[in-house]
Amino acid sequence: MNYEHCIRCTICVENCPVFRANPEFPGPKQAGPDAQRFRSEKEKAQDGWVLLCSQCKRCEMACPCGVEPAQIILREQQRYGKEHPQTATHLLFANNYYLSTLGSLTAPVANFIASSKIGKQIFDRMGISTYMPFPQFSFLTMRSVKKTRGSQRRKVAFFYGCFINFYRPDIGKKIVRLLNALNVDVVLPPQWCCGLPALGNGNLALAKYFAQKNASSLSDYVDAGYDIVYTCTSCGLCLMQDYPGILEIPQGKKIAESSYDLHEYILKLINEGYVQPDFHEVPRRVAYHIPCHLRALKIGYPAAELMSSIPGLKYEIFDDHCCGLSGSYGFKKENRDTAVQIGHRAVSVIKKTDAENIVADCGSCRMQLSGLSGMPAMDPAEILCESLGITLKENKNAK
Amino acid sequence: MSITEHDIVIIGAGVAGLTAGALLAERGFKVALVTKGEPTACLSTGCVDVCSHDGNPLQSIKNLPPEHPYHLVDKRMIRESLNYFQTAMTDMGVPYKGSPEQNRLIMSALGTFKTSCLVPSTMEAAPQDDQESLHIITFQGLKDFYPGYIVSRRNHTKFSVFDAGMTTTMSLASRFEEKDFFEKFIAWMGTLDIREDKIAFPAVLGLESADKIVGTIAKVTGKPVFEIPTIPPSMPGRRLFNALKGFFRKKGGDIYWSWPVTGIEKTGDIIEAVTTPSEGRPNSINGKAFILSSGSFVGGGLTATRQSIMENVFHFPVHVPGPRETWFDNDYFSMNHGIGRVGIVTDASLRPADTPFKNIFVCGGILAETEILKNGCGHGLALATAHLAAKSCVEYLVP
Repeated sequence: MNYEHCIRCTICVENCPVFRANPEFPGPKQAGPDAQRFRSEKEKAQDGWVLLCSQCKRCEMACPCGVEPAQIILREQQRYGKEHPQTATHLLFANNYYLSTLGSLTAPVANFIASSKIGKQIFDRMGISTYMPFPQFSFLTMRSVKKTRGSQRRKVAFFYGCFINFYRPDIGKKIVRLLNALNVDVVLPPQWCCGLPALGNGNLALAKYFAQKNASSLSDYVDAGYDIVYTCTSCGLCLMQDYPGILEIPQGKKIAESSYDLHEYILKLINEGYVQPDFHEVPRRVAYHIPCHLRALKIGYPAAELMSSIPGLKYEIFDDHCCGLSGSYGFKKENRDTAVQIGHRAVSVIKKTDAENIVADCGSCRMQLSGLSGMPAMDPAEILCESLGITLKENKNAK
Repeated sequence: MSITEHDIVIIGAGVAGLTAGALLAERGFKVALVTKGEPTACLSTGCVDVCSHDGNPLQSIKNLPPEHPYHLVDKRMIRESLNYFQTAMTDMGVPYKGSPEQNRLIMSALGTFKTSCLVPSTMEAAPQDDQESLHIITFQGLKDFYPGYIVSRRNHTKFSVFDAGMTTTMSLASRFEEKDFFEKFIAWMGTLDIREDKIAFPAVLGLESADKIVGTIAKVTGKPVFEIPTIPPSMPGRRLFNALKGFFRKKGGDIYWSWPVTGIEKTGDIIEAVTTPSEGRPNSINGKAFILSSGSFVGGGLTATRQSIMENVFHFPVHVPGPRETWFDNDYFSMNHGIGRVGIVTDASLRPADTPFKNIFVCGGILAETEILKNGCGHGLALATAHLAAKSCVEYLVP
């Protein structure tokens, strides 16, 4: 919250994807440090436009002075959310976890309704944009993965995240096999939504509730000598930054110290000499879209590092563009045009290359980019699996 | 957290850091570049000033005071560094025009002239005197660009205003890359009866394809077209940064964003790693050699308190020309502020003076005695010293 350190250089504004697309949003400088000088705890939150920020955090990555505009805006979003009535969409997306649990339990019916004309009309009425088909709920979630007992030296508690759980458990299962193939035992600890959707929809109390539940579960595993591995970069960022930060979770620091991005973890295993995976040729040309929250994790691009050891694989890194969806942000009708415009920009630079596939660590980036480009999108873990000969039947959300 | 070993770690993502990085990556070294945020190059006009004292920049370097760091770089290398830059930028689709042997003028938003050397192709057609008549095109509501300033200074100058529905440089630049908008704009241009010699625009003509956009407008109107740099957000500055960043990455370098270096690990006179604070584990990156290109005050390399000036990363001794009274001239617009001479003094290979370390080299705006404003030598000095720092690095690593 170092808003006094802002020298008003506007580098953050140059990096704001929303500012470029939506003239209603005054940009991170004004919504963040500039407005912060005038905000007072004694007054009701005034500036509704803070809700237009998608929390991509690109402004924070760009600031040369260590100001955290997105963090300032995030806190104001929570305050605004608390002091003003929540819209239906905000409530729905904050509670996405419960909805998705319901959706998965009733998968065939829920998918039918979500893709029907009437379903779309209902969504439209509720303020949910339908420019992109919803991903199909998967009846068999990660919860159904059988427990295995192993005796490896490295033990991982896998925080798979909602996207994998409800929509792409096939990728989650592949990741478990991938880690097994690298001589790592994997357990799936009891877990809930990380809390980021609730935070992003201005519902601090719900975010804290989820975070506390996860924290007490994960911290037991840390005590028992497990490393925590996450695969969704946004869940990861929430674990690493928001648990010890805005959510004030007592075990937050301990969890952050033991949590790794999947690819960061695999790289660590390789560099420590624990395993020497035998990567086989993957003859693909891919565009590696860097999710904004992977940048914000400050760990570099570990999946790119791994992909560089795969023979035959040609990849190009794209980290200048946000995909625009930002979790539930683009699903809200009022953000639809912004999300689509930002997304098209990201797609247009990819289309200039000869890439056949998009690769991205984040499920919602993949959904958006593949939806707008018509190109198939993969998780980098799928590329690693392909290279190591780990196969599994893909589910219907794979394109 | 990087667990990978790098040969060279560069601190700072400005013109100097990215250039040194590209040179070293090109030679096959594994290069990591860490940066706190985006560089001041983004705020610049994008022009490469080499030395603006007289018509021939390479000649006028000779007349700089003997302690100026330009004198550490031999003339051939300076010329080579400028040629290398021009080739790289052409390769990245942001061509630069001009010759190291001849200074040229670009027009400012006030209608005055600034002396520079290599300029973006979009500014090549800028008038070199007061004779040519101009037609300025500006945009309804565009902040901080008032054609009236230019009109009041020059005879035979007119302006027209286009309503793009956008009022900032960043959003206008985005719109210019949309096909529909551009067609509409070109159609509007057709309705103008332009009789002046040249057409001038504020620098908002696209971000990725400015060269082509300027070319198209020139072709359609049959008149030379040029851009006038604006105050930040400066599109030409961002184009320069994006292109250099892309070039560095193309050569194989890795970039770590939001990575302010706050500590070092060392053994004797060798720096082994740099570290950054982290919510989780301590973050460190190992290297065999290091380059410090963290810039001056605005860039974040130096901090001044009332009494002293510090180098932020390694706490190297900083050369200060005298007591505080000498830091600033009474005349604000004077070119002789003592603070312009502040920085790091080095030996002939750009190793910092009065420090024990053997494997670190300094380049760019953080060097002492540059007087960048007075000598008009910002990006040019960055390019030249980057080449020397890269050379010293190679000589250190491969004796």
